Order: sequence, then structure tokens, then C-alpha cells
Amino acid sequence: MGNELNRRSFLNAAVSAAGLVAMGPLLSACGGGGAQRAGVNSEAGLKAALPAYVPNTSIQPDIPSVAGGPDALTNPGFLKYPANRIATVSGVPGKGGKYSTVTPLWGTIPPADNSFYQAMNSALGVELQMKPADGNNYNTIIPTMTAAKRLPDWIQLPTWWNSQFNTGGLAGTQLADLTPYLSGDNVKKYPNLAAIPTAAWRTGVWGDKLYGIPSFSSGFQVAGIIYYRRDIFEAKGISPDQVKSADDLMSLGKELTDAKNGVWAFDDVYRYIYTAFGAPLKWKVDNGKLVHLYETEEFYAALDWNHRLATAGYVHPDALAGDNANGNTRFYGGKTLISSGGTGAWNLSDAQSGAAANPNYRRGAFNIFAADGKSAPRIDMGAGSSLMSYLNVNLKPEQIEELLSVANYLAAPFGSAEYTMINYGVEGQHFTMVNGEPTHTDAGKKEVQAQTYPFLATPASAVSSPGNPQVTRDYTDWQAANVKALAKPVFWNMNISMPQAQATADAAQSVEDTMKDCIHGKKKVSDVRDAVAAWKTSGGGDKLIQWTTENVLEKHGTGQ
Amino acid sequence: MTNTLTIERTSANADAPKPATRRRKPNDRAPWEEPPTPVGQAAKGLTLGVVLLIMVVPLWIVVVTSLSTQAAVTRAGGLVIWPDGITFEAYKVMLEDVTVRNALLVSLGITAVGTLVSMAVSIMCAYGLSRSRSFAHRFLLTLLIVTMFVNGGLIPTFLVVTGLGGYGAWWSLILPSAISVFNILVLRAFYSSTSTDLIEAARIDGAGDWRILWSIVMPTSRAVTAVIALFYGVGYWNAFFNVMLYMPTDSEKWPLQYVLLTYVNRGNGMPGSINSGFGTAFSQTAPLSLQMAVVVLTLVPLLIVYPFVQKHFRTGVLTGAIKG
Amino acid sequence: MTLPAVVLLLVFNYAPLFGLITAFQEYDPLVGVWNSPLAGFDQFERLFGDPLFWGAVRNTLYLSFVQLILFFPIPIALALLLNSVLSQRIRNFIQSVVYLPHFFSWVLAITIFQQMLGGAGALNHFLRNNDIGTWDIMTNPDTFALLVTAQVIWKEAGWGIIVFLAALAAINTDLYEAAAADGAGPWRRLWHITLPGLRGVIVLLLVLRLGNALSVGFEQFLIQRNAVGHDAADVLDTFSFYYGIATGDYSYGAAAGLFKSVISLLLIWGANKLAHAFGEDGLYRK
Repeated sequence: MGNELNRRSFLNAAVSAAGLVAMGPLLSACGGGGAQRAGVNSEAGLKAALPAYVPNTSIQPDIPSVAGGPDALTNPGFLKYPANRIATVSGVPGKGGKYSTVTPLWGTIPPADNSFYQAMNSALGVELQMKPADGNNYNTIIPTMTAAKRLPDWIQLPTWWNSQFNTGGLAGTQLADLTPYLSGDNVKKYPNLAAIPTAAWRTGVWGDKLYGIPSFSSGFQVAGIIYYRRDIFEAKGISPDQVKSADDLMSLGKELTDAKNGVWAFDDVYRYIYTAFGAPLKWKVDNGKLVHLYETEEFYAALDWNHRLATAGYVHPDALAGDNANGNTRFYGGKTLISSGGTGAWNLSDAQSGAAANPNYRRGAFNIFAADGKSAPRIDMGAGSSLMSYLNVNLKPEQIEELLSVANYLAAPFGSAEYTMINYGVEGQHFTMVNGEPTHTDAGKKEVQAQTYPFLATPASAVSSPGNPQVTRDYTDWQAANVKALAKPVFWNMNISMPQAQATADAAQSVEDTMKDCIHGKKKVSDVRDAVAAWKTSGGGDKLIQWTTENVLEKHGTGQ
Repeated sequence: MTNTLTIERTSANADAPKPATRRRKPNDRAPWEEPPTPVGQAAKGLTLGVVLLIMVVPLWIVVVTSLSTQAAVTRAGGLVIWPDGITFEAYKVMLEDVTVRNALLVSLGITAVGTLVSMAVSIMCAYGLSRSRSFAHRFLLTLLIVTMFVNGGLIPTFLVVTGLGGYGAWWSLILPSAISVFNILVLRAFYSSTSTDLIEAARIDGAGDWRILWSIVMPTSRAVTAVIALFYGVGYWNAFFNVMLYMPTDSEKWPLQYVLLTYVNRGNGMPGSINSGFGTAFSQTAPLSLQMAVVVLTLVPLLIVYPFVQKHFRTGVLTGAIKG
Repeated sequence: MTLPAVVLLLVFNYAPLFGLITAFQEYDPLVGVWNSPLAGFDQFERLFGDPLFWGAVRNTLYLSFVQLILFFPIPIALALLLNSVLSQRIRNFIQSVVYLPHFFSWVLAITIFQQMLGGAGALNHFLRNNDIGTWDIMTNPDTFALLVTAQVIWKEAGWGIIVFLAALAAINTDLYEAAAADGAGPWRRLWHITLPGLRGVIVLLLVLRLGNALSVGFEQFLIQRNAVGHDAADVLDTFSFYYGIATGDYSYGAAAGLFKSVISLLLIWGANKLAHAFGEDGLYRK
């Protein structure tokens, strides 16, 4: 009977997790035509579409960027907020137009039509109706909008949902082509946009035309890294430098695990460590032949290592039970000492949360290493930007130009007058300067702190941690030490969209499931090999490899 | 037999058998009941005690966690069992938010209107189907039951609702989910057992279906009416999914549950994997205490409403009789 | 009188049924429902040849069976027990506490279970510190059915009693008095008055439960899938989700969903016939 009575709550709660992906096909109704389906960007097309790069030198960071390989660059660091907040935009960018926007917000939605929005509107010279939507359900909300044909004038479409949103299909049908306005030297009309590195713009190119405007772009985009509790390591006299191979890391498991006291050395680390074994992110090219991750021995070596880690009892039981939500709490509480995650975790609020549990809390990350301890360390670069905003295809050219001028204002560099306005509001009303750092007032906390405008456009990312410069130093130091290890994976930033059958094979659900069981110690590596064999024949794996070879590799190259 | 239809109210154990004015002690037995055996009493007490304990401990954990400081949560490595640093911060954060107050009004309105609509439609439908000689009742029942197992999916439903102009409209939060076939079937089962002779008699007296529903069937099934109203009310109170579909960016139209969801979801769903440049304001997930405070806040209205439903379980039933 | 309800169902439940076509297509979101190529029964052929699908069916039926045996009687027993408590104050208090877990989300419910019974939880912490060895219940696929049933009992039993309390309140107390006067003891009264009074509701719920044998919940399994592995935790609904929706293979998911719908309708039809065979009303009078 529970299930009967539950029907309603099922619809309400469970579907929120599930349904949402189901919304993908909504797009169908409004038809994007199949034209863009198997689109891939070409090298020549990209060159013609991408904006020129003109770095902005008006504000010098305390810790300058360090370049690695091509397109790899550490984020600049600011130990203090720049004292003179220079203006980079003269006059008011807008001409009084009225526009609707939709952005995701992972937090408390600010009151509608508040004093900050009003102040921003007068600074921008346009009436931007800010309509933030709940970020956690954004992947349900957007497909409904496209189905109901209610896309706003300016919208944020995070790249990790590109396939669900079918961004490639929307480009050109519902989203405006910005190539004529921004390609090459055209971008110089908008100097702050021109200061965004080229790699970030690449993510917004679909079918050789530029559609997206990047937010929070970075030259140091990686999937994730392996963290450790620096304070506890130091107290125990363990140097992270002694970890030069996977075996070294494993031996820390024995040293640090103390189950009786509720301490386990590791949280789940597989996702961000398998490439250390020499396995490719997903594809590699071997003597001109395309090879899938599942076909490499390095993949199985990585699985084996993680399987042994789990069965040896070095991984926290909650992590093995699939509870990722409380991973941070375990790390803060010192219940796990080695964890993994995106580099976004390394920031001021992390330091504050950690310090709430233990005043000595300090996050550290192992340097990128190769599992065998001998090969050159390498880590794959992610897309240049994970957040892209788009304009509505129905806008008139002069409207597009007006909004691009607004975007130019929003992309003003860290510490500029415009940046301060966007992130802190009006001085005296929304923030005051405390010890040289802008600090939100109560009104600022309610209206400004939940960021909305940055999801339309921002400058390239800078690292700062007001009041606790140590975090910025730790993070930028680590980036500088590892930027040389950054390398482009095969098909980097190529925005491949594939037919349904290939997309299904690409997701390889049955292999992924078996793999998870394996790294949690419940299945053997040989089980994964069996699953892969089945995937190749009946799961469309071989066809996927063939399709990718013919339609991507042979036509467009590796993108590296 | 006269034309007046009166129903005599007698009541259950609470003040049976005579409608006495003397207030009895609540644990008085009806005179015909045997005194309980000590063994039976002990077994009963023990069972209920264990049941209660299993139910209360998690509630306790939730409440304590909602009142805990971030430090206490971190020290506990999750939910807090023993109070260790108490603060009302989580509740303050939510109750001071103007959006929450607006959302509370919206929620109350939707729940009230929605429950009324659902109850009206369901009671009529259940009554109609409970009369076995009513028009095509087998066919209509089948029509209802099929919808419990077959659905066209989220997307087609969405397209139908927006096609009717439901995008951003209040009715989209009520009408598409106004009917629970389960609830109608339960109502119908109770109505079917309402004594037929009573209804027949009324019919002979010339009472129409509306009259019978209103003055015989409804009064004799107050307990189930209360229960079904509770089911519907809870459904509307907790609903947020339609909000997400039909008014995702109209924050002034959001009901409480949806606003609270944004508290819980802070920072979730953002792949930490690629957000290297994200600002600090939203890279942090909601403190556990805040999430638990949300749970507590959703339980409070239920604690307020439930006694009113419960009342109908004990004030007894109508043994209906026709005087005349 | 049924008209408003029927209209609502036709508009909001029957009109969207055009979505079922996708199960017979090679559905491509970009092209749309009306233009996707037809695939006939290809999706079903694939489905019936997929061992993972049959695994999910097996798990679903097994879990349904376990829940029917272990969970279904509990709300009835609890309602009877509660009804026999004479002190109204105690009764009210217990009633207003036991239904609350229903309002916990599955995420929270499972987190609580993990924190109590998990490998790092309170129980195992105690066992470990007393060198008794650990008890692995949260990640053991072999005992998963018992675990999820225990979770369902904890979360839903209290809520489940409400309908029965309403049914108990509808029993005419004169009957008890008359029976007592005739010398019937408490057990005889339970058997001859109380249970027959509940019978209609019990049979109704039982028939619906059988019709719903292919639905055992979704979120509960979604959350614990990583803990016990997909072999044990995949039920039909999670199968459609992971192998249909999540990978963009919509037609495959739709086919699995339609299969479930058809079987459910057959089951409820059968269950209703069965009820009639036992002389019960079931969903409708024979």
C-alpha cells in the first residue's frame, strides 16, 4: 500500500531526479531540423569564426598567470582586492532596450525587482529582467522553455548539459549566430570580451559558427584532482612529495586508515585517477588508429588498483555505499584524508567550512603523477569554459549589438569598477570596504551575493580569497607547479554531436555500472572485461568506434 | 413514514453507550469490554514502545541536526545525534527571507483551492461510481484504473498543458494533478458500504442523488472524507514538480516547497568537475543544518493539521436511522 | 456526477498518450514524435533479448513479493493494535508520530539508515570497538530485499495505517456491544466484526498492490544502486531510467515502460477476477 499512497510523492520527488533527463526530447516539438545533427567543428571553420585575443593589462594581478602548453594557462591570483577600482567601460553601454534573461542559480533566489537590479539597470542603460531559475532543476526547465517556445532574449546553457539541451540543434534555429559581430577583429569593439582567451570561445562554436559567450573561463580546466588534508599530513610528518606513483598512494592507505577511530584514508578517487595510469580520457589515437578507453590495458590497470584499494579496506564505507553527497563533510571532519574533486572545491568557503570543524584545516592536492612513477605526468584539459550564454535568434542586429555591449561591461576584469558593481553592488548600500576588501552589507547579502549577472558573461577567472590569502597562494602555487602537465585530449573542445545509436553506445551504461561495482570491490576486473566485450558487439561499441573514426577523426582530425 | 430525514448520531467508545453529559476519563472502557490481561497489556506496551522508538529517534536526529552549528555537523561527520553546539541560525536564515513568506501564502492558497477542487471532483465521481446501477460505471471505472498504470510521459503531458495555455497559469499547478484515482477508489469503497437500505429509503422519500450524497453518504463517511482530504492536501502542499515545469522563473509565484528546495539545493547539481572558476557564493552546498531545518518546516504544518483529521477517527460514526 | 473527473482524466491523462508512439519508433528528439522513423517492434525485440532487462523484471517481482508478505500486513496490524489502546492520549500521540517518516525524502531516510547501520555507522562502530567484527547490511546485495523492505516499513507503515483507522472508525459500535452481550470474547469480536469491517478496504488495496507488482519504488533504488550494485538494485523503473532516458535511448525506455503498463493492467485484471472468485468485490462488483 505504501506504493499506492506514494504515487503522488513519486511524481513529485523521484521524477525530479529522473524526469528531467527525460525532458530532452521536448526539443523535438519545436524542431531543430536534423541538419546540425552530426556536426563537428572543423579547424578552418574555427579559425574564421573565433574572435581575436587581446589581453587586458589594465589591472595587474599579484600572482601572474603562468603558461603551460598551448592554451594552458594558470589563473592569475589576487591576494588583496585592487585598491583603485578603475573603470574599463566609458559611458553607458545600453541604449534603453528591454530584455529578458534566464540564468541558473544554485542558491537562494533574490527578491524580484530589488534595488541591486535597479542599480545595475541604470549602470547598463538597459532594462534587463533577471529571471534566475533553480539551478538544480535547470535541466528540466530549459527543455520546457524550448518546447513552449519561450526562450528569453539571453540565456545561460551550461555546457555539461549540451546534449540534454541539444545546444547544437538550438544553435541557428533558436539561438543567434554571433559570428558577424565577434569573429576576428570584430571583437575589438568589445575589449573586455576580446580579453577572454580563445580556448573559451571555442566551446561556443557549433557547426563552424560562433554562438556562445563564455563565463568563468579558465586556461586551467581539468576534470578533477586528488586532494589531501594538508594540516593532518603535516602533523603526521607525511610529505605529499613522497607520492610519486600509484603504489606510493596505496601505501598511504595502510598508514592512514584507522577504522576503530572512524578514519579511512580514502574517499572515492577513481574518477580522477584513472588517467594517471596512462588511460585516455575517452579516446586515443594509436598509430593512426582510434582506440577507445575500454580497449586499453591502462584502463584495466586503473580498475584493478581501485578494486584493491576498496577491498583492502582503505576506502570509507559511506563512499563505498555510494554516498557522495557527504564527501565534503567526511573530508572536513577528518574521517577521510584523501579525496578527489574538481578544482572548484579549492576556495575560500571551503577553507571556512573546514576551519569550522578544525581551525588548522588546510586543503592540499597531490602533484599530477604517473601511476608507474616513471612516465611523464599528464592530465587532460577540459573545455575552455563550462558556462556559455546565448542570445535569442529573433533579436534584431542592433539589439544583438546592444546586448554584446552589455556583455562587454559584464566581462570587465577582476577588481575594475564594473566588476565591483556586478559582484558587490553599490558601495555604502550593498557593500562596504573592510580591511581593503569589499564586504556585503545585509542588503548586499540578500540581493547581490547570489550571483546572477555573471552567468551571462564574466572575465576569465582569477583566484582570490578575501581575508585568507593563503588559500589563493596554495591554489595558484599548485597550478603553477602542474600547468606543464596539462595536455589536450583527443577531440578536445570539438563539440561533437552524434546520432542516437552512437550516443547510447557512448554512454555505455552497462559497462559503467559494472565498473562502479568493480571499484567498490563488488565485482572483479574480469567482469568489466566481459561487460566491455558485450558492449562492443551487442551494445554498439564497435559501431561507435567506427562512426567516430569515419566522421570525426578522418574528417576533422584530433583537435589537439 | 414522514418526509423528514434525520440521522441520529451515536458515538463510539469515547462516550458510548449513553450520550451522557458526564465527561469520562479518556481511558475508560466501554462497559461491555473485558479488563485487559497483564500479559496482553505488557506485550502491547512493549510493541508500541519499540515502534515509537524506531520512529522517534530519526525525528530527534533531524531536529537536533537542524539546530546544530556547522562545526557540530562536521564533527559528527553528518547527521548529529547528541546536541553539540546549538544554534537557531538555520531557521533564522529561512524565516527572515521575504520570498519564504510570500511562498507560504502561495502554498496555503494552492493547498486550499486545490484540495477543495480535488475533493469536490473526487467525491462526486466516487459517489457516482459507488451506485452500481449508475450509467456505464464499469466502463468509467476501467477508464479511471487504466490511468493508474498507463501514462504518456512527462513530455506529452507538458505539451498538452502548455497547449491549453497553462504555462505560467495558476491552474497548471492544480488541474493536471487534481485527481488521484487511488483516492477515488478508496472513497468509493467506503461509499459502497454505506447501508443501501438507508439510501433506498431516502430515494423512496423522493431524495435525489445530490441530496443523498449530501445528507446521507457524506455524514456517514466523515472519517474517510477527512483522510482523503488529508491525502490531497498533503499532495498539494508538497508539490513542486509542476512549478518547475510551468513557472520555473516566476519566483513570486513559487510555493513554499519549491523555495525551500532552492535552499537545499544550494551548490548541488553543479558538476564540481569543471567549475574551476566559480565564485565562492555558490560553490558550497547547503549546510546540513539548513537542509534539516527545511525538513522540520515541512513537518510543522502536518503536525498542526493532523489532529483535526484524527478527531474524525474517534468522535464516532453515524449509525444512521430514519425516524418516522 | 462523474463528468468533471472524466473530463480531467481525458485531458490530462488520455490526451498525452500519443507519447506512447515513441515505443514503436527510432525516436529522435531532434526530429520529433511525428517525424521519427517507425521501428515496429524492434525496440521490444531488443528489450526481450536483453539479460539486464530480465534481471530487472526478476528483481522487481521478487521485491514485490517480499514487500507483499512482510510489509502489507503491518499497517493493518498496527492499526488494530493502536485501536485497542484505550487511553486516547497515548493513542493520539502515537498516531501523530508514526506517520511522520512518510514525509522524509528517500535521500534522508537512507542517510539515516547509513548512519545507523552503515560500515562507518553507529552499530558497526560499536561492533568494531568491541572486536566483534562488522555487520555489512547496507552494501550486501544478498540481503538487499530485506533492507529495502525494512526501509519501506519504517517510512510508510505509519502512513499506511491512516486508511485503516478510517475504516475502523466506520464500524458500527453497536455490533461490538451486541456481540459482547452474546458472550463473544475480544478475539472473536476481532475476527467476526473488526476484520469483516476492514475487508473491503483490505481487498481493494491488495488488488491494487498486485496490479502494481511491477512498481516497487524508484528513488529508493536509484540512491542505493551504487551501494549494492546494479545486479541487485535494478528494478524496472530504474532500468528504464538508466538504459532509456539517461543514455538518450528514449524509445527503448518507452518500450520498457509500455511493457510494464500492459503487464500491470493484466495483473490488476487478474487480481480483480481472483477477488471475485473469492466472493469479494475487488475494484468493482461482479
